[in-house]
Amino acid sequence: MVRAVADRAFLPTKNLLEQVGDMMILTGKTIMSALRPPYPYGGEFVIQFLFALRLCWFPLLVSTVAFGYGAPGLQAGNFLILFGSLDRLGGFFVLASVREFAPFVTAVILAGVAGTAITADLGARKIREELDALQVLGVDPVKNLVVPRFLALMIVTALFNIYALLFGIFGGVLATLTFGAPLGPFFATLLTNASTVDLWGSVVKTTLFGAIIAIVGCYKGMTASGGAEGVGRAVNQGVVIAFLGVFAFNYVFTQTLLATHPELSVLK
Amino acid sequence: MPGWLAVPRDWLASFGDITKFCARVFGELFRGRVFVFFGETLRQAGVLIVGSTIVIWSLCFIIGLQCGIEGAYLQRSVGAPAYAGVFSAWCDLRELVPYAFGYMMAAKVGTGLVAEIGAMRITDEIDALEVMGISSMTFLCATRLLAALMVLPFLYLGGVGAGFFASYLAVVQQIGEVSSGGYFLIFWMFQNPPDLLYSLIKGMCMAVVIVLVGCYYGYTASGGPVGVGTATAKSMVFNTVAVHLIGMLGTQIFWGFNPNAPIGG
Repeated sequence: MVRAVADRAFLPTKNLLEQVGDMMILTGKTIMSALRPPYPYGGEFVIQFLFALRLCWFPLLVSTVAFGYGAPGLQAGNFLILFGSLDRLGGFFVLASVREFAPFVTAVILAGVAGTAITADLGARKIREELDALQVLGVDPVKNLVVPRFLALMIVTALFNIYALLFGIFGGVLATLTFGAPLGPFFATLLTNASTVDLWGSVVKTTLFGAIIAIVGCYKGMTASGGAEGVGRAVNQGVVIAFLGVFAFNYVFTQTLLATHPELSVLK
Repeated sequence: MPGWLAVPRDWLASFGDITKFCARVFGELFRGRVFVFFGETLRQAGVLIVGSTIVIWSLCFIIGLQCGIEGAYLQRSVGAPAYAGVFSAWCDLRELVPYAFGYMMAAKVGTGLVAEIGAMRITDEIDALEVMGISSMTFLCATRLLAALMVLPFLYLGGVGAGFFASYLAVVQQIGEVSSGGYFLIFWMFQNPPDLLYSLIKGMCMAVVIVLVGCYYGYTASGGPVGVGTATAKSMVFNTVAVHLIGMLGTQIFWGFNPNAPIGG
């Protein structure tokens, strides 16, 4: 009885830790094989880059405008109106958009759209035994499939962060117009409060989000198994792990950035 | 390789189908046919509780920590660290816990449903059900919707609790610029039961859409195991955007022109 309960609690934990370890190993292998010549992954890199751009630009646009309009725009705007200081909304958008929600909405969309597509794609190849065939032909799947996806997703996520940031601020502009306030003060406080530290923090953060999403997606796709449900299950588990990983990393990174750069918490 | 307009075109093409599908599932639910399979409903509710609770609450917890530190640093910058509770109360209850709940519902429950029902579709189990004279729509989709409606309000409230607890930990225990009494005074002052109700409505709208979309993509999956994987990925695209749109509409409807704050007259 005790043993059964212990097994029930212990086995999933052990399983999870094993998978995390495997993903770390895959990360190490990916970085090593990306750096070590030869570099045959150029074409695949371009294809994956364009693939992610084409799939994500529209969902990301809708999501960031919606998020920027709703959460920081209306909610914080309502709060500031109580104090008659709606012009401060721009300053708040530096915190809200640049530091917080542009990175994580980008990560959510990239994990949900590009990450799942990668898992489904690699999972399909695994189920059809194409990956085994590649290995028989002497083609290294890590070098030819994982590395281009890893690099492409890192760069795409960082670029999309800027895009999300612009459309998030556009959401803020819409909210300001809804309140019937002029836009000048919004942009004035936005640009006074914006700092380069925030911007590079945001870009570095999303680059690493992209790395997490790509590794989780590739790992889950390449280890998909188990018949009809296998690929679907792999996508399901992959996106759950990617979300938890991204948000946990987001917390650690933001906290470190805020604590090590006290000039960020000076309101101008 | 998909074209630039692949995603919007895909939505336009399937939007009518999804609406029709949702209407049928709701029809099964409201005409009470689903209660024939109440045992299956209870089983699905159990699956939902055992399988998804911990994951959803942990994402709400992480988001709560995030709200806490952002609130603490923001209020430090305006020189009022004692008021960190204002930010975390609004951020947790009104915005980010519903979003976190929606994200994790889409990731864990939505894609899980697609994988499960999609596998049944491509192994012809759904056709087998129909042959046996059981309405597959009722047995597979309506029972899952009813189970979600039964379980998720409580799960959501638990998630709100996890977020609140995490914000308390981040602001009071970690940053430590406000006493726990001072934090809670402000924190509870800036929210009231209607806020919780609105937040719950927002979360439940997301949950219903996610469950229905998951059922739709699973029910219409085709093309072997690979097709199930693709359908799962597609459902995730639709769900993430739906979560953001519902979040925005909820904020606009419930708090758009009524901040509901204990300030001013």
